[in-house]
Amino acid sequence: MKSLTRVFWVLSALVVGATSALAAETMGPVTDEIGVVKIRQGAPMFIGGYWTLSGPDVGLGLDQKRGVELAFDDWNNEVVGHKIRLIAEDGQCNAEGGQIATTKLASNRNIVAVVGPDCSSSATPGAPILWKAGIVNIGTSTTAPALTAPDRKQGYHGYLRTIYNDLAQGAGDAAYFKNVLECETLATVHDGSPYAEQLVRVAENEFEKLGGEVVAAEAVTPTDVDMRPMLTGVATAKPCVLYYPIFVAASAQITRQVQEISGLEETIVVSGPTSMTPGFYEAAGESARGLRFTSVDNTSADALGDDYPRMLQAYRDKYGENPTQAYHVNAYDAGAILLMAIEKVAVKDDKGDTYIGRKALRDALFETEGFAGMGGPIECNEHGDCAGFAFAVYQITDPDPSTFDIGTNPKKIYP
Amino acid sequence: MAAALPSEGMAARIEALRRITFVDVVLWGMRILIVFVVVGGTIGTLIQGRYTGEQWFDNFMFGLMIGGVYALIALGYTMVYGILRLINFAHGDVMMCGAFTSYFLANGLYRSGYLDAHPVISMILIMGLAMITCSVIALVVERICYRPFRHIRTLAPLICAIGASFFLQHSFRGMYGSSVRAYPDPVWLEGEFEIFGFGIPYTQPFVILIALAAMGALYLVVNKTKMGTAMRAVSEDRDAAAMMGIDVNKIIVFTFILGGCMAGIGGVLFCMVYNQIYYFTGFLPGIKAFSAAVLGGIGNVPGAMLGGFFLGVVESVGPALFLDGVGIRAPYQLRDLIAFTMLVMVLIFRPQGILGERLATQRA
Repeated sequence: MKSLTRVFWVLSALVVGATSALAAETMGPVTDEIGVVKIRQGAPMFIGGYWTLSGPDVGLGLDQKRGVELAFDDWNNEVVGHKIRLIAEDGQCNAEGGQIATTKLASNRNIVAVVGPDCSSSATPGAPILWKAGIVNIGTSTTAPALTAPDRKQGYHGYLRTIYNDLAQGAGDAAYFKNVLECETLATVHDGSPYAEQLVRVAENEFEKLGGEVVAAEAVTPTDVDMRPMLTGVATAKPCVLYYPIFVAASAQITRQVQEISGLEETIVVSGPTSMTPGFYEAAGESARGLRFTSVDNTSADALGDDYPRMLQAYRDKYGENPTQAYHVNAYDAGAILLMAIEKVAVKDDKGDTYIGRKALRDALFETEGFAGMGGPIECNEHGDCAGFAFAVYQITDPDPSTFDIGTNPKKIYP
Repeated sequence: MAAALPSEGMAARIEALRRITFVDVVLWGMRILIVFVVVGGTIGTLIQGRYTGEQWFDNFMFGLMIGGVYALIALGYTMVYGILRLINFAHGDVMMCGAFTSYFLANGLYRSGYLDAHPVISMILIMGLAMITCSVIALVVERICYRPFRHIRTLAPLICAIGASFFLQHSFRGMYGSSVRAYPDPVWLEGEFEIFGFGIPYTQPFVILIALAAMGALYLVVNKTKMGTAMRAVSEDRDAAAMMGIDVNKIIVFTFILGGCMAGIGGVLFCMVYNQIYYFTGFLPGIKAFSAAVLGGIGNVPGAMLGGFFLGVVESVGPALFLDGVGIRAPYQLRDLIAFTMLVMVLIFRPQGILGERLATQRA
């Protein structure tokens, strides 16, 4: 009986070993558990990207695409001897857009890695599609906590981000409402997107932990235009703060209509980071004047990388305008750590062809540490969170979109 | 014999019970659930007493306002259906085209100060441009997408209508970009007045009265003019109307122009209330207006008007009245659900709509 058991274990080990060997791929000098990308000498290195490139939130996506392009510029658009070619798709800031964009990217076996997206709504279906194809994905402003939660599904194990986690923003929001504004009651509105819903939930929980009371928790849809009935419901609770970190179109409608609702005259109105774009100014019009919103601090020298002034100048020189959002720094960092990881794992053969192991690239990215990024230090943990968070509150001083200039309009009012 | 009668009755009852299908049970379940949500929710909400009378009034007025816009758009759906038996799914986007085109004029007038100084002339110009644009685009859509299939009984016109909807959206996206534009917010629409202690913003009577006036004018055109009489004749029986000497093509063109005019007015009102326009603006109001037309009884002009206001009010008041009371969190997120549940319910339980589809029985 003992000998039979021994035979069983030996056979099992052989089967497992053979299966692993079959799953791994060997190409040229590289063997990788997931697969290997071969780039012939003289061929370009394809890097995918997906951001919001159309619709009301286009300012968010465009800014981040530019951030990545600026990082590539700093490498002279070349890595391990190959010209870099960025293939950008439109994630549309929704699940369908993310699904379509990543399916297109995943179908291209020459793509080494994907940067973006800007919206958690796109990343939620997108990241598993990419990882199923063995493609590592670096989010550039996707802050939803679920994407890097310790108990996240297997499909998100190839996903990391160079942006903060909303667990940090939600805590910052709650502390600001309770300790700075000295409010005891909070009302929230989300739009059903993973980003807004999870951020709002964190802010609510943290606010309650600080001893405050959440008196209304409402929700709209991103395409809603008539917010008045919802706001009338909120007014019945007479909140001290109304917080709505939702996307541009719906956020602008709330900003406009909140001023017409009786019962909310004394309520402090605070929107979220998506208000930091000229598109929001255009959509909200005159009612945006004086609006506060919470976001990441990207005006203080201590919150940003030392090299940021150079990047800002490069941005203005290349695109002829000020940044259209705050997250170009995080996108730059995503592009930079990706190129450094490629340099680390790429192997060349005698003919000059380059080979990159997909698992090796993923591991190299997750091991990133001590990088002085444009958006602050980059240190990745095992769950894929790579960036810290510096909380700030801004106020819009002039609703004219042409006057948009982060630091001046909107002006940082806290800390 | 006396003993046989009860057994016959019993047999009939058993036979009736045997005829009950699974679908019947599901439909009864849906009825009971909806009655429970509506009645239970209303009682629960009223017992909670969270909303004041003024807030209910405000919600009702918000509903009338959006309902007026739905009604204007719904008229386009219902008139085209009445004449062609066709759902013109591009109609919401036709509305967007008119409103988007007139945005440039409105913005120019606003920036020059003319809109604030001469509101009546400005609004006539803005609405006139929107009506002309909507009418022209509606006619082009009819000529290209619907006319070739008029005598063919296939799904082609419906598919063409959906294609035209996407074509219009993305054409305007290509021409004017995808960002949200702020529609002008004139000074004379700011502020409110009081009636019986209730504050009413100027935008509400502005939208409701213009919508009612436009609908009244349309009603007169349809019922008191020769063209209107001809429209109704074509709607009754197109072949018979043609044999009586009515130029059916002309009537169809006239119908699309009327629908386009209503959409133009509705689009400008919609944008002046919500102060936003972008290429996707027409889609959701279009679908809602279609629901309103079905709700009132598609093909029925007064039905579309009633359906629009009814849908607007239910959408506005419903989440608070029905859902708050049954403990649903964030009920306004389910506003569209209420609207489309109503559409499904109407299609299941009263397919002819509230006022009934005109001529439904004769055509059946």
